[in-house]
Amino acid sequence: MSSEPPIKRPKITENEIDKFITGIMTAEKNLQAILSDEYDKPIPFVKVFVGTARDPKELSKIIQVLNDKIPLKELSHLKRVRKKEVLLCQSQHLNVLTQETIQEYIEHNSPELKDSFQYFREIDVPLTPPKLRRQYLECNSKMWSVNFHPDKQLERLFSDSFFPEYDLKLHRTFMSLVFETAYWYLSKHTKVELQDLFVGINIAVVVDPPRRSIVAIGLDNRQGHPLQHAAMLAIDNVAKTQNGGAWDADGAKNILSGINLDLMMHLKERYRQVMFGAKQYLEKNEIREGSKSDSPYLCTGYDVYLLREPCLMCAMGLVHARAKRVFFAVDNEFMGALKSKTKLQCVESLNHHFDVFTGFL
Amino acid sequence: MVNLMHRALQLAGEALAAKEVPVGCVFTIDGEIIAESRNTVNATRNPTRHAEINCIDYVYDYCKANNIDYQIYFSNITVYVTVEPCIMCATALSNLNIREVIYGCANDRFGGKTVVDVSNYYIQSYSLTGNILANEAMALLKQFYKGVNPNAPELKVKKDKKV
Ligand SMILES: [Zn+2]
Ligand SMILES: [Zn+2]
Repeated sequence: MSSEPPIKRPKITENEIDKFITGIMTAEKNLQAILSDEYDKPIPFVKVFVGTARDPKELSKIIQVLNDKIPLKELSHLKRVRKKEVLLCQSQHLNVLTQETIQEYIEHNSPELKDSFQYFREIDVPLTPPKLRRQYLECNSKMWSVNFHPDKQLERLFSDSFFPEYDLKLHRTFMSLVFETAYWYLSKHTKVELQDLFVGINIAVVVDPPRRSIVAIGLDNRQGHPLQHAAMLAIDNVAKTQNGGAWDADGAKNILSGINLDLMMHLKERYRQVMFGAKQYLEKNEIREGSKSDSPYLCTGYDVYLLREPCLMCAMGLVHARAKRVFFAVDNEFMGALKSKTKLQCVESLNHHFDVFTGFL
Repeated sequence: MVNLMHRALQLAGEALAAKEVPVGCVFTIDGEIIAESRNTVNATRNPTRHAEINCIDYVYDYCKANNIDYQIYFSNITVYVTVEPCIMCATALSNLNIREVIYGCANDRFGGKTVVDVSNYYIQSYSLTGNILANEAMALLKQFYKGVNPNAPELKVKKDKKV
């Protein structure tokens, strides 16, 4: 991550930014959620012994005894019975040193069942429970049956129709606004070249989704200050709408403090349906006792649209800020922390997790 | 070394008194303190204003004002911080090619070594030493988390649905 190789990319013209904007707005494909790698890996299998009951009428009694004496524990996602066959134990539980057979294992662990089985066989079963219907269909083999409780939200994230058409249009509008902001930014900063968009700099737009209002915008300044990546600036600009802020935070604070005014005028002309400004921030003592306050808190409930996949510093900043969802258009193959180099949103021990979407281009 | 960590602990104590998460930090060159700070997250309403970030800002501004090459300057800095730097701060410190980081207690929630090892993403990273006056650092954190973060809103009964 430390050194970005000097990539020579063809010079991008302003015309091409327009092409991006048109492309983002007119594409019809749905966005793609970036989810944990565990859903892509095949489910591991493990060997188990199953036994055929001599007397099918005994099955319920056999299962009762087995669940007590030889519980399935980590294999509890598997059905204990299939037709006349009963799942007994993992093959590795048999004593290798004494060359214990499955009949001996039953005799040792559950003697009352020593005559219950006519014959045994060894089969492969999935070691972990399937999380997706696709995995379930893959591993619910003819050999054995698996319990499966589909997670509706997860199934939807994996479908290619996650966002309804109306929402998709909104997300595409906000991402096109990110590129429009990039265009404005480049026209103001002659030092920054158009091709820097894809390697050097970034743009972050923070949106309050229920009000469809732009709360803050971060314009990358990493060439002027090593911490001032677009997302870090956007987080600080959100703070300015909440009576706070750390970088150039001396001025008066109000609901529009998160956005450069010139830029806002520029965007207002092009995006007439988009609102600007945060919800009014209330200090603790301004909130009436017992009243339901919905004063904004950090980036809680806010969506963040980024031109490029954020680096690890920015991605963790967005976790600290409790962003609701993160959208990005361009992969950051050298430093990206949500898809390319790691997937911070999938680290379980973190105290906040946001959903991540891409697929705008 | 212990003296410098004591100073960082003092700063963490100041954070606690100001109702901030008690983490303190000093930046040093050749054993001399060149910057010191603590968490100012609640005061700034900016959740990224960790002690390390505040120190980086201070040192960067100092270099700029005095025409010092900040890249060389940062590469000579040893950081003393009461809690293992989080993933964000560890990345920022790695980007600046800091020489060394010495911390008090580990950070199980979002440590830049314990939770995600940031050094995996760098060809070369700072040397990292932990467990220096860890009990003192931990005691401050425990004191803070016994109370409630005064700036966090009360938990809503109805949990916001994801997405
Ligand atoms: Zn970044
Ligand atoms: Zn930190």
